[in-house]
Amino acid sequence: MIRDRLREVSGQIIAIAVALILGAIIILLVGESPVRVLMTLLRGAFGDQEKIAGTLLQTTPILICGVAACIGLRGGMFNVGIEGQLFLGGFAAAWVGFAFALPPGIHMLAALALAVVAGAAWVAIPAYFRARYNTNEVVSTILSNYVAVLLTSYFTIFLFKRPGGWSETPPILATAYLPELFSFSRLNWGLVIGLVLALGAALIFRYTSWGYGVTMVGSAPKFAEYGGVNVKRQGFVVLLLSGAVGGLAGGIETLGVHHRFMEGFAPGFGFDGLIAALLANGSPVATIFTALFFGALRSGSLLLEVDTSASREIITVIQALIILSVSAQVLVKRRGDSQAGERRWKF
Amino acid sequence: MVSNALGSPTLHMKAEMAVALTGITKRFGAFVANNAIDLAVRRGEIHAIIGENGAGKTTLMNILFGLLQPDEGSIRLNGEETVVTDPAVAIKAGLGMVHQHFKLVPSLSVADNVFLGMEIRRHGLIDHAAQIARTRELSKRFGLQVDPTERVGLLSVGIEQRIEILKVLVRGARTIILDEPTAVLTPQESRELFQTLRSFVAEGMTVIFISHHLEEVMEVSDTVTVLRNGKKVATRPTAELSKDELVRMMVGREVSFDRRPRAPSRGDVVLQVEDLWARDDRRLPALRNVSFTVRSGEVVGIAGVAGNGQTELAEVLSGLRPASHGAARLKGQNLAALSPREIREAGLAHVPGDRMVRGVDRNASIAANMLMGRQHRAPWSSSGVLNWTAISENASRLIKDFDIRAQGPGDAVKRLSGGNIQKVVLAREFTNGADFLLIDQPTRGVDIGAQEAIHDEIMRQRAAGRAILLISVQLDELAALADRILVMFNGRIMGEVAGDGADEDRIGMMMAGVAAPERAAEPA
Ligand SMILES: Nc1ncnc2c1ncn2[C@@H]1O[C@H](COP(=O)(O)OP(=O)(O)OP(=O)(O)O)[C@@H](O)[C@H]1O
Ligand SMILES: [Mg+2]
Repeated sequence: MIRDRLREVSGQIIAIAVALILGAIIILLVGESPVRVLMTLLRGAFGDQEKIAGTLLQTTPILICGVAACIGLRGGMFNVGIEGQLFLGGFAAAWVGFAFALPPGIHMLAALALAVVAGAAWVAIPAYFRARYNTNEVVSTILSNYVAVLLTSYFTIFLFKRPGGWSETPPILATAYLPELFSFSRLNWGLVIGLVLALGAALIFRYTSWGYGVTMVGSAPKFAEYGGVNVKRQGFVVLLLSGAVGGLAGGIETLGVHHRFMEGFAPGFGFDGLIAALLANGSPVATIFTALFFGALRSGSLLLEVDTSASREIITVIQALIILSVSAQVLVKRRGDSQAGERRWKF
Repeated sequence: MVSNALGSPTLHMKAEMAVALTGITKRFGAFVANNAIDLAVRRGEIHAIIGENGAGKTTLMNILFGLLQPDEGSIRLNGEETVVTDPAVAIKAGLGMVHQHFKLVPSLSVADNVFLGMEIRRHGLIDHAAQIARTRELSKRFGLQVDPTERVGLLSVGIEQRIEILKVLVRGARTIILDEPTAVLTPQESRELFQTLRSFVAEGMTVIFISHHLEEVMEVSDTVTVLRNGKKVATRPTAELSKDELVRMMVGREVSFDRRPRAPSRGDVVLQVEDLWARDDRRLPALRNVSFTVRSGEVVGIAGVAGNGQTELAEVLSGLRPASHGAARLKGQNLAALSPREIREAGLAHVPGDRMVRGVDRNASIAANMLMGRQHRAPWSSSGVLNWTAISENASRLIKDFDIRAQGPGDAVKRLSGGNIQKVVLAREFTNGADFLLIDQPTRGVDIGAQEAIHDEIMRQRAAGRAILLISVQLDELAALADRILVMFNGRIMGEVAGDGADEDRIGMMMAGVAAPERAAEPA
């Protein structure tokens, strides 16, 4: 079993390595030194305590979105709509934050609660169609992203725009702020929430009857059905939970970082989270590390344009390469295994 | 056949041996699955490989086909020393393998599946017409009846197997390995398969097949190799052997499949089925006007050629398929109103016919597989929290009680041999305290020693007052176990015969759809 584990992890590591090597080649092609880029990235991500805090700040939403994706993947559901759920959650939290006056603490919890509800409600439509008509949730959740982003833009620009200024809502009241962890950074309690969620999800999947059923729905749906697990209902529930956590990620971004909602509020965190979860093979605990990896790439890249001639977009390229090699890795995984061989032969 | 057994004239052939394995050893960790095995297969013969579950048969064939690498030993194909690094090498050397559990693409047509990965092209596009024509020609030549245009998802396992064989043929195989081909077939389909295998050797091809059915081995093979605990016991011409000798070589003792003695029992009605109708996946009627009862302490057998409604009957009774009309009552509760989980709670245990899909999660551990269906009950969980210690201990106990050959409860099910996977399912279902056991093909792919043990276990469950519905395509199994046998044909129950002294001719007629005149009807 330990050997299997190692083999699986080694696959992920190979995937990242392949992506980095290809990335290095591309960096060479644009006339930069890969070593210099790497050093700059590392310095930008971990150079001093502020940089580390900055990395963790970027990691937080990726981690929470990653946990959201893991929850879906466990039950065999591909929630590609986390980005949209994040936007709606972010807007919902902002609205509670600026439109109501509530006591400190309670205000924040109310805002987060509405973010959760908004995320869950947003995925409820694809989830319902999946459960009722067996519609492919990948397609419907992807499409729901566009609607979510545009819908929140509409709210921000036409209904709740701050007079004068940018396309953003009024700032939320300080009573709804998510407390910061350190004085020198905007890094906030969201990170702790993310870690607790990841560990909590792992424990629930491993140690509860419900989690067992969901896991079986994800890995062997016919077996689960036979054993009395309601496959459709669990698929619905899992998507809803996934959406709820996606909404929470947005709420935490609003209350912890931006203190308002604005257009282009948290670009790509939902997708990064999904990739982090896939790279972690759907394990919430492993997602902590893959999210950190993507967070470091993001924050390190800020320094990239300042210190080197490489563009920040190179990071996007590397990410895309990772996605490609992770998917390719599924094909070569467990080559020595006779079952995998069987599959190889048969397809 | 005879000429083969005596060594057919192979004068102008390059080598007499199609396959020669020497000193093959394969270890999985500390476990030795194949221990210095020599195997020589003559060209143009049908070579049977037999042995208990976990004896190492599949492992040996996977090594030959390049799916596994041996730790020691060498392989000669057609007289040439070959390192079979992967199946591509084996295929090039003229080998083809039909696996124990096959995988086809359900959404593609038969012909597309056959040519998957080696499509016939014309102007860069797939030439469907040519693929269909070629598939049709091959299927005619070797008596493998299929409709090349049909979608695989709608076909029975028997036909899926023919497709797998066709796949092997179009890849140019001259030596064909079949891993337990008859485990999933009806007796009729098996006979057809043997015709096909004979037509292969008639064309000078070679067949290696694994089986647990000794009658078939006696009937169709020229040579038998027996494996036991990873070692080769013997290779002998079939003509020199009797079935009893084979059993002794395999198991090391006598095994009996005579009718089991039983105390007469007449319990309460546990399952009552009344005028039940249901449709299959294609929405065609699969069950028509099915009525019967099962009482506690009795074994009711369902005989019939596979595909005559048995699967659908099992699915309706376990809540996995809705009935379109009629009712089934388990201890008075109408099953139509209950979910699969509620039916289980009402007292159903179910050994599914399709074990790899319904019966287990191959990737999960034995312990996790044995938890299914009881994850909400003490002592496995309390207030929704699983007790993995209890789950593991229970699994260890079942592994011992049911003689499952595994290293421990943490072993992934996919690591087990086919027969041991079936034992995992049986162990789980027979121990969950249900009053009604729905048992579908319990000994499919199980070796004869274990078959006997499973039959004993079913009789023990009967003695404990369970009501048992036993679906099997093997008449001898029904004759050994059932108190009454119902025969299904085309979704209907054609009639009932007593299990004691079951009249095979009469059953055979009813299985073919001829309603035999009622003889001495059972008193109700
Ligand atoms: N990948 C593996 N890792 C560890 N053990 C394995 C692996 N594959 C097979 N085994 C073990 O090797 C033994 C032989 O397995 P094999 O599948 O060859 O048996 P078999 O003779 O085909 O049995 P059956 O009749 O039940 O199909 C079994 O005990 C099995 O558990
Ligand atoms: Mg086998």
